[in-house]
Amino acid sequence: MIPNGSGLLPPPRDATGLAGTGRGEAGRDDAVADDTGLDNAGSNTAGLGPSSEVMADEVTVDWRPSRHARRLLTLAAAGLLLAVLTRNPALAGVAAPPLLILGMARFASTSGHSTSGRGARPGRVSVRVGLTASRMYEGEPVAADVAVKRADGYDIRWVLHPGKGIEPGSATAVNGQAARFAFRVPRWGKREVGIVALTLHDRWRLAEGRVSLILPAVGCYPSPAVQRTEVVLSKLPNRLGEHRARVPGDGTEFAGIREFVPGDRQRAINWPASTRLGRLQVNTFAAERSQDVVLLVDATSDVGTPGESALDLGQRGAAGAARAYLDARDRVGVITYHWGGAHWLAPSLGRRQVYKILDLLLTSDSGYARGAIFSRLPRAALPPGALVVAFSPLLDGRFVEALRDMRERGFALIVVDVLNAAPPVRRRSADVAAARIWHMEQDAIRFSLRELGVPVVAWDGKEPLDLPLAPYTRRRFA
Amino acid sequence: MTPRPAARLAVVASAVGSRLAALLLGAACVSWTASPLLHTGLAKTALVIAIIAVTAGGLRLAFADIPQPEDQFYLPGYQHAWLMLLALLRTLAWEETAVAATLWLEVQHPVRPWHTFALGAALLGYLLATHIAESGAEAGPLLRGHGRLLVAGACLLALGAGFAMIPAAAPGAGSAVLRVLAAIAMIAAAALVLPE
Repeated sequence: MIPNGSGLLPPPRDATGLAGTGRGEAGRDDAVADDTGLDNAGSNTAGLGPSSEVMADEVTVDWRPSRHARRLLTLAAAGLLLAVLTRNPALAGVAAPPLLILGMARFASTSGHSTSGRGARPGRVSVRVGLTASRMYEGEPVAADVAVKRADGYDIRWVLHPGKGIEPGSATAVNGQAARFAFRVPRWGKREVGIVALTLHDRWRLAEGRVSLILPAVGCYPSPAVQRTEVVLSKLPNRLGEHRARVPGDGTEFAGIREFVPGDRQRAINWPASTRLGRLQVNTFAAERSQDVVLLVDATSDVGTPGESALDLGQRGAAGAARAYLDARDRVGVITYHWGGAHWLAPSLGRRQVYKILDLLLTSDSGYARGAIFSRLPRAALPPGALVVAFSPLLDGRFVEALRDMRERGFALIVVDVLNAAPPVRRRSADVAAARIWHMEQDAIRFSLRELGVPVVAWDGKEPLDLPLAPYTRRRFA
Repeated sequence: MTPRPAARLAVVASAVGSRLAALLLGAACVSWTASPLLHTGLAKTALVIAIIAVTAGGLRLAFADIPQPEDQFYLPGYQHAWLMLLALLRTLAWEETAVAATLWLEVQHPVRPWHTFALGAALLGYLLATHIAESGAEAGPLLRGHGRLLVAGACLLALGAGFAMIPAAAPGAGSAVLRVLAAIAMIAAAALVLPE
């Protein structure tokens, strides 16, 4: 797992409160683990901390005979039927023990009479469900806590049926009043955690009360790529920030010396230089500015192995870049390009923006955008003079055209090429020729972008983003 | 923190033990009721069905922990066949079939009350072992909960066998039916009055 690194991005579990569920630390007073003793439920998941309640409800229990009861009934019925048919009392004796057990279970359930003090079967039970986090990064362990009340005296069994894309991290079947199921989401996206089946068994285990609980969906953020350096534009907008501009200003970084003119501050006088030159000299400082950065994610082509596909790399790269530029106090926005349109988020500052960007990136999972039309994005989505960092496998011709158009409109553009797969090739000459043509086409696309002044850097998703971007982070980017 | 190897070994041994016990009890029931081997058509059919059902029930328990894959599209043929076998094992009521076939096989033999008594006890044990194996319930508490009823049931089972050994008061079919009905009535009365 890629470490969070900066102070701007808190650990994902804190994101539960930040990203809109409305539960902060104070909301954890009602944690399921606290009042049900869930800490005993699974020692290997105790490190995940307490959970926040996401559902507490009374649910109807669907009682029905168990499989064991049906088998006993078969034995009894077969014994009695054959006894009558064959006039053999010994076969009636075979039916006696199962009949006794079935009769007793029936008697206890209908009358509520029991030496153990339990009453008739409960028609409704109180169920609570909690999650240790509703948003997490890829591969991070999360736990779902479930607990039932008003089911004393019954054998309780919980079984987790994990949803698609959910990897259980602990046993999926647990006995007891409360249970904790750990799981991981190996790939980003919005995921249904699954269904927890609660089964209540009576003392005789002949009646089963069943309840199905649908666990809430969770959002899994792409693991941010490591990026510690930033590409900085040579022309920065006139806005206070942390990047050293070429123009003099009120920054803290020394830029040079010039002759004193009336109005200069006295404390800026450079006395050694003044003594040497015989005239008053003052220090000048570089202005500090911020820039607008727009991250462009091409979600039209998801090629490659799931988990390492081009879209996965694009998402992780965009998440890492968003974190790096927001750490540098830049305004960062994002545009995700889909078939038929785009989703966008206007550039902004701050910690909340990280999560807004990550939430928007999750919408790339949907495959089809109903948002803005890509060719008519509003000015807020793509402010003039912004640095555009595109993450794309460059397989969609329309996207490449959009990049060319953007460059011709004067945007400073860098393309991070995330294509890490090629079409399968058989040993037939036609296939080999087709593969060569495909590779040549890809080279031509990249060459044409470079000719327009758009650098295209390849990134494999394993190394930090700083490495491919190094030529552009060392000097100012035009 | 993962469970210690010794604890994990105990859990695995318990699961394997209960499944093996169920299979062995089923096999014992079939072999007990099949001896001496009869060569009539119905007996042979019942024996084959019982063997198949007990084997399939044992396989179902053995493969109980194998999960169904999320996507079953575009699988190779052998994997598809394997999944179909698993579905077949999990869908059909093998234990019920085994019980019915075993009792039918017992009926094919001449009346032998104490043999039937032992078969009844073994069949009940087979069903309990199967339930313990498939539900993961702890055997001790479950059997303690059933203890008194099982003892009472065994007594009634013995009574049934005893009834079968009493010679008919008068020759004819009616007296045999009366003995059966008396046994059933006694069992029903015991089930109604026996305190929990």
